[in-house]
Amino acid sequence: MRERLVYLRDVSYRYPDSKTQTLQNINFDGYRDEIVLLIGPSGCGKSTLARIFNGLIPNFYGGQLQGEIDIAGYDPRKTPTAKFAKTVGFVFQNPENQLFFNTVERELAFGLENLGVPPAEIRKKIDEALREYGIEELRQRSPFELSSGQQQKVALASVMIMQPQILILDEPTANLDPLSALKMIGLIAKKTREHRMLTILIEHRLEIALQFATRVVVMNEGQIIADGPPLETVLKTDYIVGAPPMVQLSKKLQSSGFPVNIDKLVPEAMALEIIRKLSKGGLDERKRREDNRDR
Amino acid sequence: MEALRAFKTIKKDSLYDRLDPRTRFFLSTVLAFLAIYSSRLDTQLIVLTCVLSLSFMAKRVRVILRGLYGSLFLLVLIFTLNFIFTPNLQGAIYALVMTLRFTTLITSFALFFNSTSPEEIGIALEGVGVPRDFSLLINMSFRFVPTLANDIQIVSDALRSRGLELEKGRLYNRIKNYVYLLVPLIIFEVRRSMMIAEALEARGYGLDVKPTRLVSLKFTWKDCLAIVLALLGTFLLYFFGFL
Amino acid sequence: MSESEEKIIEIDNVYYEYPEGIQALRGVTNYVLRGEIVAIMGENGAGKTTLIKHFNGLLKPTRGRIKVKDKDTRKTSVAELSRIVGIVFQNPDHQLFAETVFDEVAFPLRNFGFPEDVIENRVKWALNILELYQYCDKSPFMLSVGERKRLAIASVLAYDPEVIVLDEPTAGQDYLQKEKISEIIKLLKLMGKTIVLVTHDVEFVTMYVQRIIVMSQGKIIAEGPPHRVLTDYNVIRRGNLLPPQLVRISRALYGKSLLDRYDYLSVEDLSREIISKMREANGGTSSI
Repeated sequence: MRERLVYLRDVSYRYPDSKTQTLQNINFDGYRDEIVLLIGPSGCGKSTLARIFNGLIPNFYGGQLQGEIDIAGYDPRKTPTAKFAKTVGFVFQNPENQLFFNTVERELAFGLENLGVPPAEIRKKIDEALREYGIEELRQRSPFELSSGQQQKVALASVMIMQPQILILDEPTANLDPLSALKMIGLIAKKTREHRMLTILIEHRLEIALQFATRVVVMNEGQIIADGPPLETVLKTDYIVGAPPMVQLSKKLQSSGFPVNIDKLVPEAMALEIIRKLSKGGLDERKRREDNRDR
Repeated sequence: MEALRAFKTIKKDSLYDRLDPRTRFFLSTVLAFLAIYSSRLDTQLIVLTCVLSLSFMAKRVRVILRGLYGSLFLLVLIFTLNFIFTPNLQGAIYALVMTLRFTTLITSFALFFNSTSPEEIGIALEGVGVPRDFSLLINMSFRFVPTLANDIQIVSDALRSRGLELEKGRLYNRIKNYVYLLVPLIIFEVRRSMMIAEALEARGYGLDVKPTRLVSLKFTWKDCLAIVLALLGTFLLYFFGFL
Repeated sequence: MSESEEKIIEIDNVYYEYPEGIQALRGVTNYVLRGEIVAIMGENGAGKTTLIKHFNGLLKPTRGRIKVKDKDTRKTSVAELSRIVGIVFQNPDHQLFAETVFDEVAFPLRNFGFPEDVIENRVKWALNILELYQYCDKSPFMLSVGERKRLAIASVLAYDPEVIVLDEPTAGQDYLQKEKISEIIKLLKLMGKTIVLVTHDVEFVTMYVQRIIVMSQGKIIAEGPPHRVLTDYNVIRRGNLLPPQLVRISRALYGKSLLDRYDYLSVEDLSREIISKMREANGGTSSI
């Protein structure tokens, strides 16, 4: 029985001073142990939706939020943002704007200080976090001196140290090079599994992120237009979200009568499938020729 | 530039560093006060010697002297401006007093800022009862100064790449051109501050529980001793008529 | 040297050290030919942005020199060099300030001293090309993120520099926006512009780029056409890049001797090869 952590029914939202609805007819259930990849063109409302999950909407932004909403037992219309912090962690796009202090240590401590955790326990949790994320040597360093990859790692650790059940990430790799981005999303996936969270990741680079998703939700113009298994959902909406090259390749092979199973969305796995098919085909072909000869 | 470098924080292992930041601030304030209060040349020299001794104790003499060297132009300017109006021995003494006073002010506070990180300043402020919002504000101001400097560079690069002349030409025109930086910069920084505010709330800031603090300040006997000595020194100076 | 081989930018053993002491460029020598599309790739901090800032004189080399159309950048002003090399920086929000989209695009033209009637024509032309004409009198801040990016490009295109440098044009962009940017690059090429792209988007780069320069830690570590550079795993690793997905698949198939080469960069090419191999393996039948 899967544990549901997020429940949205018929949710709609309009920013203050806006004449149009930014979100409409949103129905979404989020479960523990899921990595949901939330994608869609710029302006589709995904960042807005993400901010409902930790109460920034409507508390920080105002506006009109309607519908049934349950985020781990809380309703953002009745609960201030700060109260969500213990349960929902949010990692933003720009590391510069979410690292506030001159040492990594203080950055890690900040969230726990806000929650009123006793200093001795904070100290223990910081030691653990530094070890867990392999950033022990960065303890006294200023975040400003770090590379963007390291900065985002610190940002993630500062949020995870509060032990949230739900983790939201809004384009966390936008400023990172491909290898750092891959490592970052890999780390996020690993932590989601270890801590059994619900993770909702907004990310444009499908060729990097798709392989880690357990589910893909596609939005367009304020509505959810697709929600399902990664490959199937991306194929269905590739005219909007763009399919990564290996998915395009599989589509072409399929339409020529040579479907290749790519459940694991990693190029090497697809290659293995192709090799298997070609070897098997070769085997079948040899057998056929042998059979013909014997006849 | 060199002068500003004296204000950057470096941690050292000295008796001075082991004092509570509030004590260090108190010491710098007392020295500054003495320099401002007295108009006597000998007092200025005594106070300046105290500052230098303190720097020695803090193992920061070289840093302070380098900072002074960087502000040499300013010091000479102060002396000259004061001397010009009364170009005789009395005037020279007065100009010297002004110069020494200024020197003491910058060195005593450079010493404080060089040994006290923004974190400690934040904690110290909270320790004397300043509300958390304000100490956080101070803390983040320090943290974002390099970021702001970087943004100014980026904006000016972008505008110069579009033909805006900031290097050559008449001074009036160059100043006028710098105004073009303001709009994108201000809008950018306002947006940035919104994003920071968002992130703060998302990290639980503003929760209705009493926030704890990882590091807290403790007054030790060294601090009491330092404060007593400072007050005693002031009293002695007063008693012997130096003030 | 024939006209088509003219070096419009020459980089001669350039070193650059930031005031804080960081050595960002450590002996870079290369060039940009007129009319070519070059990509500069590498990890964050490799020196890519530092290098392109030398092209219009924002930075001057601490050692070595750079010539743009035979002008030494150390002796020429930024404004003069920007006339030849237009740089579109990564974040358009760092430069928007005008009251209207029109004024925003007219700004560089006015700085360069174009007469007002020429300005009007150029601005309207550039906005048209970038599909922003309908926003002529609107405030630039009303535009969406993708539109602001196009506005920054329009602003450079309007004064018609010979070289256009795009700094991370696809960073943070969604699929449809990237397609639009591809169209724009194709168009610029047709117009005879020289294009320099700073990017780490390996998938984007396979489509139009003729030559790739890979940098790491202030040096150039590789250079060549995409099908050579993006298949060199050693270079890819040192540049903190990822090989394009199709190259990864081809490499694995090549390793099993199922393909003769692994520099496949397009879905059409690779699928054609694989399909023909599959047909062979099935004796001509089309399904297994």
